[in-house]
Amino acid sequence: MNFSFTSPWYLLGLLGLALPILIHLLTRRQQSRLKFSAVYLLQQAQKRSVHKSRPNKLLLLLLRCMAIGFLCLALANPILSSGGLENILTSRPSAHVFILDDSYSMSATSDQGTLFNRATETLTELIEKIPGNHSFSLVLSSHPARMVQDWTKDPGKALKWLKAVQPSHRTTSIGQAVTLASDLLNTAPQENKRIFILTDMNQNGWDRDEFPTTFAENSRTQIKIIDFSGLQKGFNRALVQKVKLSQEFLTNRRIIRVQATIANLLPDRAVKQLPITLFVNGKRQSESTIDLPAKGVATHEFSFPLLNNDPVSGHVEIQEDALTADNRRLFVYQPDRKIKTLVVDGDPRGVAHQHDSFYVEKALNPFSSPMADIEPTVSTLSEFSERDLKQYSVIILCNVRDLPIGLEQELEKFVLRGGALFIGLGDQVDPKYYNEKLGLLLPVTLKSINQVRTGDKPFHLMTQTSDHPVLKVFTGSMLKEMTRIPFRTLYSIEPRRGRQFEEPMRFTNQFPAVIESDFGEGKVVLYVSSLDRDWNNFPIHPTFLPWTQRWVKYMAQGLENISRHDVTVGAPLVLEEMEQPPLVVAPGGKIFVARKNSQSPPVFEGTHHPGVYELYQWAQPPVSGPVDSPPPAPKQLPADAKRLGGFTVNFDPAESAPGKISERELSQYFPGAQVDYSPADQALDAASVGAGVPLTTLLFLMLAVMMFWEGWIVRKE
Amino acid sequence: MVENTQFSYAPETLSEVSSLSIRAIQLVEGLLSGHHRSPHKGSSVEFAEYKDYSPGDDIRHIDWKVVGKTDKYHVKQFEQSTNLKCTILLDASGSMAYRSPDSKSPGMDKRDYARTLVAALGYLLLKQFDAVGLTLFNDEVVSHLPPRSKPSHFQNILHGLQGMEFKGVTRVEGVVGDLIERLPGRGMLILVSDLLTREDDVFKTLKMLKSRGLEVILFHILHPDEVTLPFEGDLVFESLEDDPPLGLDPFDVRQQYQKAIQEQIEFYKKNCPTLGIDYLFLETTTQLEQALRYYLLRRKSLQKI
Repeated sequence: MNFSFTSPWYLLGLLGLALPILIHLLTRRQQSRLKFSAVYLLQQAQKRSVHKSRPNKLLLLLLRCMAIGFLCLALANPILSSGGLENILTSRPSAHVFILDDSYSMSATSDQGTLFNRATETLTELIEKIPGNHSFSLVLSSHPARMVQDWTKDPGKALKWLKAVQPSHRTTSIGQAVTLASDLLNTAPQENKRIFILTDMNQNGWDRDEFPTTFAENSRTQIKIIDFSGLQKGFNRALVQKVKLSQEFLTNRRIIRVQATIANLLPDRAVKQLPITLFVNGKRQSESTIDLPAKGVATHEFSFPLLNNDPVSGHVEIQEDALTADNRRLFVYQPDRKIKTLVVDGDPRGVAHQHDSFYVEKALNPFSSPMADIEPTVSTLSEFSERDLKQYSVIILCNVRDLPIGLEQELEKFVLRGGALFIGLGDQVDPKYYNEKLGLLLPVTLKSINQVRTGDKPFHLMTQTSDHPVLKVFTGSMLKEMTRIPFRTLYSIEPRRGRQFEEPMRFTNQFPAVIESDFGEGKVVLYVSSLDRDWNNFPIHPTFLPWTQRWVKYMAQGLENISRHDVTVGAPLVLEEMEQPPLVVAPGGKIFVARKNSQSPPVFEGTHHPGVYELYQWAQPPVSGPVDSPPPAPKQLPADAKRLGGFTVNFDPAESAPGKISERELSQYFPGAQVDYSPADQALDAASVGAGVPLTTLLFLMLAVMMFWEGWIVRKE
Repeated sequence: MVENTQFSYAPETLSEVSSLSIRAIQLVEGLLSGHHRSPHKGSSVEFAEYKDYSPGDDIRHIDWKVVGKTDKYHVKQFEQSTNLKCTILLDASGSMAYRSPDSKSPGMDKRDYARTLVAALGYLLLKQFDAVGLTLFNDEVVSHLPPRSKPSHFQNILHGLQGMEFKGVTRVEGVVGDLIERLPGRGMLILVSDLLTREDDVFKTLKMLKSRGLEVILFHILHPDEVTLPFEGDLVFESLEDDPPLGLDPFDVRQQYQKAIQEQIEFYKKNCPTLGIDYLFLETTTQLEQALRYYLLRRKSLQKI
């Protein structure tokens, strides 16, 4: 609560308080002395008397002083308001750092524009009221926090900037901004230092590690926090948390599946029938509704057919709420014409048909035709470590003893990002290595080799039909043929504790034949026998070809899943697979060049806006400047530029989290500083001229009371 | 204000003594023709009444003429009209020296009023051939003139009054205690005082005097200022006796003060008659002539009962 005066000059009238005091002193009667006989009776009378002339005189003086005081205060037109901004701004010369939260959560709607609009209006009023002898600077708190106005006493430039500023698409980083402000204040010569933070208190931006450990150096620093979250109109109900695209290869038609994950941000109630829409290449592709449990997430899958191999871009959008920025999520997808498959041969031999990979390669592309759906590439183990795994959708390990050091981690990354791994066993396999090093990929351990002795009955696959997408086509004669295949040797397996997997195929002795499990975005399939004829005769049976192809098509999700880039706004994009820095075409058509130095892969840091960015290969002109500085970007896309792909820049969903920092928690973030919190509506009241409760009438009333009282006492005497 | 009025034969003093004497004489001469009967009946020349003879009566007082006519023995009784011994106790404490700060205040100073009253009473009594003594006191007996009936004794009284000094504190009880042995057994005691004392037992002392067979007359003298407290403004009251100075605005205490002083007056006015004490309250604005006349009339009416 504070006072402000619209006509403060009248307060000079308070000097008039000296007048009644002077009169009182001058007219104070000299005490005369009188010899009297009955003083003891006077004493007794005084004890009993209720009249007190002397206090009355002091009371009169007080009343007269108060009357003058009330008159002056009333003429100065005082306004009682809460927040105290004006008091702060009209005090002694001070240094102010204004931290403006420009994160995308500030673009939530209020009754009048967005929260950010209200924050800039408040900041404009504050800066306009800063006295000429005060210094101020401006810091934006979206990640990464940055100073936009160094110390100045001239508000003109800052006010002009405030008129044009828009909220960013980034997350909040109040901690960085406060650290920056604290550093700025250390350079300020003024004794009084203040940090104003205009924010929506979004919990996402308050990382305690980013705050200064103490404000001891600025022990007189005052932190004034103006919370705009109370002005938000309605709730931020939900956000599109994730969009995953995959290409369907098993079906004859070329289909893209879009799986959208929607999160309910309301803490205590479910959302029913939330409209959700898929936009592809700028057109509304599909619409539906989704039910969200309280505090939970739900997924909805769209699918649409591919007409050509052109890249697909679009977004998934849910119904608008208070914060529109997180209601849509962009995607870009490059469909594959072929499934690129890498077959790793763990036991290459002199004769081709004795290779472990021979039958697999033939099964995947029997006629070695370039028109085939699957494009297998055979690699030896030594070559395997030199391969770029992101160039393949499926990797098949055939009787591989073990992997070169570090490659198992590459494989894990490959599967995590959506790659498919098919492992066929054999006599070369080292079960100890598989059990110890591939524990993350394999949900089972290899126990022992089970071999049928000569004369004994071989193992056979079970004859029952299956609903599995791969196996459901094997019915009738094909199934019978499969069940007649003799398996002489196979690995028995043992499940790892707590791991989930399926057994789509089994042997007649109940041993699992195929183990299927998910890992990350990808899939891992373990075939417990060999993919050549060492342990069985399956490769020479007609069903081997469709069986192998279907597994590959089933597992593959398309190359885009593995090489896809989806970054959040402001995050740098590291293009590891590229040697030369590509051209990047931003959503608005502006062209950039990714930064590249000799030590690291190209990096693109201009991800300031959400959208679909295109990457183009560019015949880079000779470097004229320093080696590490990028060449200037062309104004137009060169004619010979070849499209390499695209990537999306989306909002960071963390900023949409509904949690807010409470007033009580604030002191933990500002040790040693004086923290003053006020909701924006109160701060706006205090900052606006004439806002608050006018006290003039009350003071005039009190003046009248004082005068009446004074008159009554004088008359009584 | 206490003045140093030691007796001397300076012309001013002589003039004052003379004016006091003149005032007293004028007052008395204008009032009486010398009637002052004794309340004690005994042998005298003036017949009072007859009474039946009873054994023990002096047979000299049997009226033989009446015996001859009625054959009954009656004894003559006469009024005793001579040799009344009267002691006047005059309060000489500081409070009696009160003088109004207002020079235009009506009436006399309290001390002059009291001295004139005492002189007039002395003259009156001597005129009737009664013996008059004068005792001045404050917290002790300041001076004591034993009762004499010689007319020249008036000069001693005047001299005692003129030379007196008003100071000290009023202590009636102590003074009477000292004096009581020196007072005549049957006689009159006139107390002239403002009765402004913290003592609670003045009335008890009066009661004791009365019990010794003394005729007690109490003249209660106050200045009008002491009754009404007419002062204005911030004042420091300095006591004429021994009270500490007191600063106050009289406005604040006037009502309570007036109430207290009136209660005191009413107390004596109500209780003195119950003991047979003549009480007369006199403000210094009251004409002394009127006061004395009132007193004498009252005395006469009492004697007739």
